[in-house]
Amino acid sequence: MSDAPIFRPGFRLLGFSAVEIVVLALFAFLMVLPVVSLFVGSFNIASPTQPAAYGFRNWITAFSDPKTLDALGLSFLFSIVRLGPSLLLGVLVAWLIARTDMPGGHVVEVACWFAFFVPDFPLTLAWILLLDPNYGFLNTALMSLPFIEEAPFDPYTFWGIVWVHMGTGGIWFKVMLLTPLFRRMGATLEEAARVAGANTFTTLRRVTIPVLSPMIFAVGVLGFIRGLESFNTELLLGLPAGIYIYGTRIYDYLQEEPAQYGAATALGSVFLVVLAVLAFLYRRYFQADRKFAVVTGQGYSTMRVRLGRWRYVALSGVILYFAVMMVLPLVFLVIGSFMRRYGFFNLDDPFTFSHWQNLFRDPVFLGSLTNSLMIAGMTAVMGVIAYSSVGYMLASPHPVRSRGILEFLCWLPWVIPGILLGLGLLWIFLATPLSVFLYGTIFGIALALTIQDSPVSTQAFKSGFLQLGRDLEEAARVSGASWRYTYFRILLPLVAPVALTIGMLNFGSAMTTISIPVLLYSAQSRPLSILLLEYSFSGELERGAALGLLITVIICAMIVVGRRFGLLDLSQSGGGRDKTRGDAG
Amino acid sequence: MSDVVLEFRDVLKRFGGTTIVDRVSFTVNRGEFFTLLGPSGCGKTTTLRLIAGLEVPDGGEIVLDGQTLAAPAAGICLPPDKRNLGMMFQSYAIWPHLSVFENVAFPLRVRRVPEPDIARKVTEALELVGLAGMEGRGATQLSGGQQQRVALARAVVYTPSLLLLDEPLSNLDVKLREQMRMELRALQRRLDLTVIYVTHDQSEAMSLSDRVAVVNKGRFEQVGTPQEIYERPRKRFVGDFLGRTIIVRGIVRGTASERWVELPGAERIAVPPETDAGVTEGTRVRVLCRPEEVTLLPGGESAPNQVTGRIETVTYMGDHLEYTIRAAELELLMTASKKTPQPVGAEVRLQFDPQAVTILP
Repeated sequence: MSDAPIFRPGFRLLGFSAVEIVVLALFAFLMVLPVVSLFVGSFNIASPTQPAAYGFRNWITAFSDPKTLDALGLSFLFSIVRLGPSLLLGVLVAWLIARTDMPGGHVVEVACWFAFFVPDFPLTLAWILLLDPNYGFLNTALMSLPFIEEAPFDPYTFWGIVWVHMGTGGIWFKVMLLTPLFRRMGATLEEAARVAGANTFTTLRRVTIPVLSPMIFAVGVLGFIRGLESFNTELLLGLPAGIYIYGTRIYDYLQEEPAQYGAATALGSVFLVVLAVLAFLYRRYFQADRKFAVVTGQGYSTMRVRLGRWRYVALSGVILYFAVMMVLPLVFLVIGSFMRRYGFFNLDDPFTFSHWQNLFRDPVFLGSLTNSLMIAGMTAVMGVIAYSSVGYMLASPHPVRSRGILEFLCWLPWVIPGILLGLGLLWIFLATPLSVFLYGTIFGIALALTIQDSPVSTQAFKSGFLQLGRDLEEAARVSGASWRYTYFRILLPLVAPVALTIGMLNFGSAMTTISIPVLLYSAQSRPLSILLLEYSFSGELERGAALGLLITVIICAMIVVGRRFGLLDLSQSGGGRDKTRGDAG
Repeated sequence: MSDVVLEFRDVLKRFGGTTIVDRVSFTVNRGEFFTLLGPSGCGKTTTLRLIAGLEVPDGGEIVLDGQTLAAPAAGICLPPDKRNLGMMFQSYAIWPHLSVFENVAFPLRVRRVPEPDIARKVTEALELVGLAGMEGRGATQLSGGQQQRVALARAVVYTPSLLLLDEPLSNLDVKLREQMRMELRALQRRLDLTVIYVTHDQSEAMSLSDRVAVVNKGRFEQVGTPQEIYERPRKRFVGDFLGRTIIVRGIVRGTASERWVELPGAERIAVPPETDAGVTEGTRVRVLCRPEEVTLLPGGESAPNQVTGRIETVTYMGDHLEYTIRAAELELLMTASKKTPQPVGAEVRLQFDPQAVTILP
């Protein structure tokens, strides 16, 4: 009866059934082991291939080096400095969309949703094309004006990195999280205030903002923690200028000859402790599921703030921001990929297809494309299979003790930045006899990416199954269907929208993530994101632009198709609830 | 009629520390319409789910047609798909991704019934519930009443040994509910089905059932025909749950051949002959009676089986009047016809029918 949710009371150990033990062991292995290996590795003063020897030397080395402490400090500084303006903008745009009569609010919302999916690495590359002191278009254009002798912009600085971040994922995500909140937030609460005699401004000050502030605060804390895990922009812009955050410092330690595994794991361990404490407090304070409860909105507020003439000003501001932060870099990515020599507009024949032709002729590119597609495909499939099962177990109405543990295990990767997960897994991959299958292979990379996808996927499937309700499944069982038949005929078709959404999201992030494969790839398993990194480090900007554009196009094509079929709507993590629910009664 | 289909023996179910079904024993006979009636949270739905195999009991034994379905002591718990039951859920649980035909055909497909037979049986079942010609509809295009009929067709399509119905009418509007109630009863008679029906609505229970079990806090308070449990409630809870009751307290007086209850105002009500022998001289008892069995008379000389009182409030209820009456130091809620209205403050007499009262210790 191991396949039945209703089982004969059979073998039990410490109150857990055999199935529970197997599931818990598997996920403990996947989710906890990388963390443990990171900690253990930090005390191992021998190199990974040598017999282990333990001591504190790594920690002493790492923390007697001022660069380590600088990197830690800078990580926090970056995240804090970015948080202020991005939260302010996020709240402002969400408020404009949901609570004011600004025209085109829906289009702005869709645009933000779209921008969220645009990968950050090609965007960073585009900003280099625009702002580089030597050949950046904005610099050369301004320097051609009189009185401007020096390049006014430099992306390879602290503020350059902050600037580029203002146009990538985080800010659009904040708008996506906050808009449904603002929209749902009690029309009745505000209407009651109005009826009680408060004017628009007093209502905003005394009701709207106090009611929403805990949630805005939650989104802010979430943004701060996510900000600490940022990697791509800091790698591309920080490394040339010697600006290191902890993630790029770890990367740098491993690039040294010989690679300093010890110092890297020591630094990683410290940062993991910091993140774990923050995440624990966040979870404690806002509760695990509130984040999702907040996202699902229902009911629309009819009362909107009248902006009068200012509504066009507001719309223009939003359009301008979007144009500068999203359209401008993407346009220059296109231009860059077609220029014979980037920045030299005055050549006889400045434009060419040769970079695209070279790209598609390059066997390294073709190999990387194959690798990327296989890695992303495997990640999507493995994630859907594993986390739909976990989500099903978590949605079970039977009070099972193992559920809390399982939920915690699958949430754990939420705290682990990609680079640390890669580092922890690298240590395991090198040490196990299975290293042939794992180290430097596409399967190893796909496994790491699948682990990284756990928290969001698990929660999405859990809420998907919870929304289905248990009756549909029980009706099938009573009708005589076995558990397996029920799963394939009833459950799977009904959670298909969730499964496809999760599959596409995980496919997309597998195509664009750098922080995980950067420590795990080899020449045979190099994915496109790493190839892009190599192009930009070796100064092949035109080919890099072409490749970055190609990745962006693949992702955009995927989300357009997804949108067409009503998928990828992150504001309903259950996915297509109305279509999958049958209770019209 | 007397051969037993289902038997519960001391069945126990706990959730955490709470006992939901408390050592319940009962039997259901072939062709019987058996209703579990009780307030929400009383354990009636859990009892039904124990039969279906959707919950695993913690003790006792459940036997269907001589086969043990569940017996935790022996380590037996048959999964729901091996029990050959039909069940209708409160939410109907119509699978939204399947058509009406496929919904009804599902139990036949899992039983590997040949294709032509499936087509025939599904058509028959849909005709039975009045949905002929709707085979191709998507399940989500149906109204609540139609979904309910699909659920019923799906539950009876393969002639289950037992049909379980979990509050099937509670999501329908009043008119449709009454119509479906009659259709359900007719269908049960025509197919000679054994039905276990869960409801919190006493009028449904009264009008549909052969026997009713009144469930409270995981226990079966009383099992009997609708008439028995309505007219002879053996417990205060049963009396209260099945509509209004008038309760007066007194002390039993008299001899073995003729007994009466003496009320505080020295008035008397005769004890009906079939009352428990345990009710002897000197016992403090409660006299239960349905308001409709009590006649409201104008004030005057008190006779046996009458209680005098004074009208405190009168409420106009449309088709009748409702009085609160202070009598024998009690406040009684009475309903009465509009024909002889009594004003507030009037002295009245309440005439009890000795055949219609229940005496409880």
